[in-house]
Amino acid sequence: MNGRYVVRKIGQAILTIFAIVLLNFLLFRMMPGSPERVLLRNPFLTQEKIAQVRKEWGLDKPLIPDQLVGYVKATAVGDLGYSLKFRGQSVVDVVASRFWPTVILIGLAEIIAIAVGLSAGAYAGWRRGSTGDRVASGTSLILYSMPYFVIGMPLIVIFAATLGWFPTSGMLTPGANSGSFVGQLGDFARHLVLPLTTVSLGLIGGYSIIMRSSIIETRSEDYITTARAKGLRDDRILRRHAFPNAMLPMVTIIAINLGYVVAGAITVEVVFNWPGLGTLTVDALSSRDYPVLQGVFLLLSVAVVFANLVADLIYGVLDPRVRT
Amino acid sequence: MTDVADLVRPDGSAIRGRRQWPLPKLADPTAPLLVVDGLTVRFSMPSGSVKAVDDVSFRLDDGEALGIAGESGCGKTTTALSLVQLLPANGRIKAGRVELFGIDLVPKTERQLARYRWREISIVFQGAMNALNPVRRIGEQIGEPIEVRLGVPRDGARRRAEELLELVGIPRKRAAAYPHELSGGMRQRAMIAMALACDPAIVIGDEPTTALDVMVQAQILQLLETLRRELGLSLILITHDLSVIAETCDRVLIMYAGRVAEEGPVRRVFTAPRHPYTQKLLAAFPNIHADRRTLDVIPGLPPDLRNPPPGCRFAPRCQSAMPVCTEVVPPEVRFADGVRVACHLYPTGDAAAPAARLPAATEPAPPGPAR
Amino acid sequence: MTAPALPAGVRPVVVASPATGARGAIRQVLGRPDGLIGFLILVVFTALAIAPDLLVGPLQTAITGSGPRLGPPSAAFPFGTDELGRSILNLLVHATRISMVIGFLATIVTVVIGAVLGIVSGYVGGRFDALTMRIADFFLVIPTFVLAIILTAIIRDVLGTGSREVFGIRLSLLTIVVVIGITSWSSTARIIRSQTLSLKERAFVDRARVVGASSGHIMRRHILPNVMNLIVANAVLTFAGAILTETTLSFVGLGDPFQPSWGQLLDAARSVGAPGLGAWWYFVPAGTCIVLVVFAFTLLGSALDAVLNPKLRSRR
Repeated sequence: MNGRYVVRKIGQAILTIFAIVLLNFLLFRMMPGSPERVLLRNPFLTQEKIAQVRKEWGLDKPLIPDQLVGYVKATAVGDLGYSLKFRGQSVVDVVASRFWPTVILIGLAEIIAIAVGLSAGAYAGWRRGSTGDRVASGTSLILYSMPYFVIGMPLIVIFAATLGWFPTSGMLTPGANSGSFVGQLGDFARHLVLPLTTVSLGLIGGYSIIMRSSIIETRSEDYITTARAKGLRDDRILRRHAFPNAMLPMVTIIAINLGYVVAGAITVEVVFNWPGLGTLTVDALSSRDYPVLQGVFLLLSVAVVFANLVADLIYGVLDPRVRT
Repeated sequence: MTDVADLVRPDGSAIRGRRQWPLPKLADPTAPLLVVDGLTVRFSMPSGSVKAVDDVSFRLDDGEALGIAGESGCGKTTTALSLVQLLPANGRIKAGRVELFGIDLVPKTERQLARYRWREISIVFQGAMNALNPVRRIGEQIGEPIEVRLGVPRDGARRRAEELLELVGIPRKRAAAYPHELSGGMRQRAMIAMALACDPAIVIGDEPTTALDVMVQAQILQLLETLRRELGLSLILITHDLSVIAETCDRVLIMYAGRVAEEGPVRRVFTAPRHPYTQKLLAAFPNIHADRRTLDVIPGLPPDLRNPPPGCRFAPRCQSAMPVCTEVVPPEVRFADGVRVACHLYPTGDAAAPAARLPAATEPAPPGPAR
Repeated sequence: MTAPALPAGVRPVVVASPATGARGAIRQVLGRPDGLIGFLILVVFTALAIAPDLLVGPLQTAITGSGPRLGPPSAAFPFGTDELGRSILNLLVHATRISMVIGFLATIVTVVIGAVLGIVSGYVGGRFDALTMRIADFFLVIPTFVLAIILTAIIRDVLGTGSREVFGIRLSLLTIVVVIGITSWSSTARIIRSQTLSLKERAFVDRARVVGASSGHIMRRHILPNVMNLIVANAVLTFAGAILTETTLSFVGLGDPFQPSWGQLLDAARSVGAPGLGAWWYFVPAGTCIVLVVFAFTLLGSALDAVLNPKLRSRR
């Protein structure tokens, strides 16, 4: 792959991350009351800590450029401040403990949604107008119009409250830490099913609609007629000619969509009381724990930018035309 | 023209001419290569049914090159695509026969047709940039029909693809290139290589040189001619450019508004056109050798094929139109010099030379190699 | 390679130019099944939103709630009751007004910002354009929802609590309107800018420039009318997005219990544990309303898009 393409994309990503840090800095300054009062509101900080924090944050220096530089430097080494709610724990610690549940939830959901949504959309679009297409498209359209938590709540009522197949909330059953590893894994899996289904369904709705229209457009391309003229079988034409081309815009769409998936995942975590970054955000919101809120914003933004970068590089692999 | 020779190999499998592969099972070795009889194609659109091709007949023999000419929308591409039923979803063959080695392809289903597609009839499309898959290398695309349709293992197919590229004048190592990495002329050559992959009996060229500049066009035409001679190919060339047909084809079929106007050996039709439309068409081509004269233009527009005029479809624009022309469809008449015409000016085919000239027509000079 | 035919199912659509006007376009949109269904659904919801008091009486409070706690649907309470004994039907109709009004206001803010920036950026070009588009792309990449949460919280805290109302909406909810505008203008701006760029090259713009018209005049009198179609189609889809965003923001606790929206209702339902208790009547009505309205806007938006901007679609 062309080195210039890679370098350009990485450069853009770095610029964006810097803009995020800058935005975070501005938000920090926008907080009601001066920052030190916010930080110092925590009664558990010792005097030494207070003085240290003042010095670290450079609160006695002028705003720009010194405070900005100080903020950037602190962020770069991973010092994001201290949580207001969690009594002196650093933001990094608080966020880290909630990181993996969210990543597992979103990551698995994306994988499922890509596999199911792209295939369903491709088949629906290829056999446009068929019964299968109409059913699939109608379902997708409805799913697409439903906020994730609107999908999740009925699932709880039906599968957890009424049928009792799955727990209604949480990630692990309290007290299950003492069981075997397999037992714990099974417990985790049982708790994961409903939230995972919820996020996956929400994503599948959108992905299959967009993939369907992408395949429909691809189908009218001349090289598909060439493939038909070659006497190739219909499913081979779909698999090897239509799909690889129709998938290209999907890569971009999936990447752009990540910002919205974050929003959806937050609400799903809230509905299912899933102990991830989403519930952390909402808790921090209600207690106005700004440092944690900003830490989450920084982390999620950087993660999304990084994922976009990966998507751009993948696109470069899939579409030979952008490499030159 | 090659004779239909060497009909049977020593091992008993039937072949034709320089053909490498056996004929299809149902083939009749003595039948002509391609006979199209009364082909009628309709497109159903929300605004009505478009009678795109109406009662078109022609014949192609081994090693022949037939040119199909006419304005845009006259049905030439539709005719060609319908030979292997590659029409879009709203197109249907309403009537007629398409007999390849005596096998009628019209009633065949998609599955049955697959046997004949590319292996007997292949197509070189216009504008190879869109006709080639942009995300696959050309070597792979050329090798695909060899591998999938002929059952050749992949590396064998790739080697054959490289041979084909060499045959059309592309260096072997370009097999790893993507379509956008090739120039327009090279892409067209790659399309030709791809069309030859399964050693077809007939190659259809749908405006294969229209998108190219004149120099490249000449090269491509020369390539087609060379291949035709060396491989014993039969060619159907579709174009609106009569000079291309004059250079490469043995016979020409002039179509107007979905019907055959005139058909016959190129020299005859171009030097002594009978049908008024053919005369106008030839007159519209300025000849670099002839005296300077004003450009002849055919007044009016081609008819709306949803509601074509009754009788002869050219009648509204024809200077020699007679009352019968707007009432009765002109019957096809065959002349002794091998030309067919559908025009009321020629109610019978006589052995004499071309019929009466139009009073206002100027002498059309043959479109020689004017480009 | 050309076949003289359109692919099956393509309807030749007449382009509604600004000259033929809105009436023709409206008729075409309503003639399409998706346009008609979307429109009808929205009419129903608008009717509900206009005067909820007339339909179900004033918004019930903890004091005036007279039903059983979390009671299932019954004759007296067709949609059941919440944990305070209030009729869910009553809450629902009032929430319709709040959600629709907030969505409407947020759409206005978003589309105004997006269209203005899009037109100016596209027409003026240069460094302003480059900078604006960088910022727009930035907003498209980052998870704007988290940003919206933070901004809403900050602005609320700065403004303080209070029951001041503008347009009948409390300040706390107007904050959401502004925040949605700040975070959602990017895609509108990009779309309008594209169209402006292609309009800029057209002859009538050159003519105006030669005559000596100022940039502002050209943008207002020449560019704007020609992107209006696009703005309208985009506004409809933005409305759907605004409703979704407001719903989600309310759901995570930024709603106002004194002026419940659909999202706020769902938040309340969740916090009393309605799903786990099987009290489906608490959240299904509000959830259904959200889905219906978003669905309706999506249908209407795609119908408008097909009618007003057929050239922008390669094939349908």
